[in-house]
Amino acid sequence: MKSNSKSSRLDYLLAAPTLIWLTVFFLVPYFIVLIYGFLTPDIFDVKFEFNLDAYRQLFDGTYFRPFVLSVKLAITTTLLCILIAYPVAYLIARASDKIKNTLLILIIIPFWTNLIIRIFSWRIFLSYNGVLNDILMRIGLISQPLEIMRTDLAVIMVMVYVYLPYMILPLYSVLEKLDFTLLHAAMDLGANEVKSFFKITLPLSLEGIFAGVLLVFIPALGTYLIPQLVGDQRSLYVGQVITYKIKNIPRNWPMASALSFGLLILVAIFLLLGYILLKKSKVRGVA
Amino acid sequence: MRRFTPAKFFKGMNLTVFTFAMLFLYIPILILVVFSFNDARIVTSWKGFTLKYYAQLLHNVAIRDAFLNTMLIAGLSTLFSTLLGLLIALGLENKKLKGRKGFMGLLYAPLVIPDILMGVSLALLFNFLRVNTGMWTVLIAHITFCVSYAAIVIQSRLEGFDYSLIEAAMDLGAKPGTTFFKVKLPLIMPGVIAAALLSFTLSIDDFIITFFTSGRGFDTLPIYVEGTIRRGTITTINALSTLVIGLTLLLVVFTKRIRKSLISSF
Repeated sequence: MKSNSKSSRLDYLLAAPTLIWLTVFFLVPYFIVLIYGFLTPDIFDVKFEFNLDAYRQLFDGTYFRPFVLSVKLAITTTLLCILIAYPVAYLIARASDKIKNTLLILIIIPFWTNLIIRIFSWRIFLSYNGVLNDILMRIGLISQPLEIMRTDLAVIMVMVYVYLPYMILPLYSVLEKLDFTLLHAAMDLGANEVKSFFKITLPLSLEGIFAGVLLVFIPALGTYLIPQLVGDQRSLYVGQVITYKIKNIPRNWPMASALSFGLLILVAIFLLLGYILLKKSKVRGVA
Repeated sequence: MRRFTPAKFFKGMNLTVFTFAMLFLYIPILILVVFSFNDARIVTSWKGFTLKYYAQLLHNVAIRDAFLNTMLIAGLSTLFSTLLGLLIALGLENKKLKGRKGFMGLLYAPLVIPDILMGVSLALLFNFLRVNTGMWTVLIAHITFCVSYAAIVIQSRLEGFDYSLIEAAMDLGAKPGTTFFKVKLPLIMPGVIAAALLSFTLSIDDFIITFFTSGRGFDTLPIYVEGTIRRGTITTINALSTLVIGLTLLLVVFTKRIRKSLISSF
């Protein structure tokens, strides 16, 4: 009924406004980013003169290091999130319906609380004369306040804190649909819990892990706010360098463009890698 | 006799990790709330209960303006992105539509690209076009990053749609327009509401894209808060944050249905 040409014309009409909007405000801007990378920086703006410096400098030590740091941070954050989120999601998925709902609300509340406010609360918690140091000193565990704020450790803690719900929710939705009779069957056939976990539960939840990785790893690559508010200002991440080049005077928009384009390519590579991995694991699952 | 088994170990571990995760998620927020009532400039020590930061909040014009800006942008961008999301979700419902794969690619691409890149690219677009940044540029940016989320949520609602209901309405003589507004739209309404709510949340939460697309003099709440934290005058921020957290709590607790369709859209 829907395949006749009149209704498909209507379908195009319905889709058109959004597609045009995304073309103008999402797709075209990336071409401008690409082009601005070939221009010459000016104090407040750009000069429309061709220049290869920005893309060349991308591979210098100064601009390459932020990329390495960002990738490292994104990997660490993602792995820690999987390790913590998996047991949490599993517990929620196997809880009784009534408890399940309460637990889900508990996970969603921080997810819906303003990001800056959550980061800010960690500053109060971790700072030199903050609550954590106060408690640790009162117990007598330490005699001098620990310098946690403005370290790489603080960045990792807050990153995991912010992105954890993004890993828990997709994992939960996969584990919730998981047919637990399969586990019983496996155990009836003599497999123990550990074996049936690795042979059944884990492979079947791969899709959830993949979705979670997508939601955590990619945003983590471009993070600005967390290292900016709690991180060591000697180790700058890509997001910070890009922002400084755009906002601080003298501006260097060609450099910001080149860095952004580098980040875009990096994201594309990781997405492709993830896609191939997921496909492979699916093929193996069928065989 | 109690025996150690892997099952018990797993359960115990899950519970331990869960407890740890909950403490991890809530302790910082709790501290923030408690200290918003603390009558002291230094954070650590408790100097007695006060509401003076809440009183200061009420008289702060910058905060009031930032709050109004945030609500204005969130309201308008929710309206437009939900409408655009609904339209494209309906348009791409037909799986045999030519070019559908490409359209879906364009629609989903914003979801897998770091926010900062959208911010930078829009900033450069507005610079290239010589547009003055301000309310309008922020609004355009917010619609752009919300629309894909709105579309996805509505699409997932359309996925399980029972088309026999449409056929039944048509058989009974309803015109296509009537069928859409009287049968289809009410049935997918929970998805539309969930999409609107998600757009609203994303909009009021956004810092980085607003940071790149707003000009001087147009602060949203996240922009204002970040600036204040950077300048170090944080006493009222605790109180402001507590209010925001309270509002969130109310919203989450009282929107059971919406919460459900949000979770199922993951």
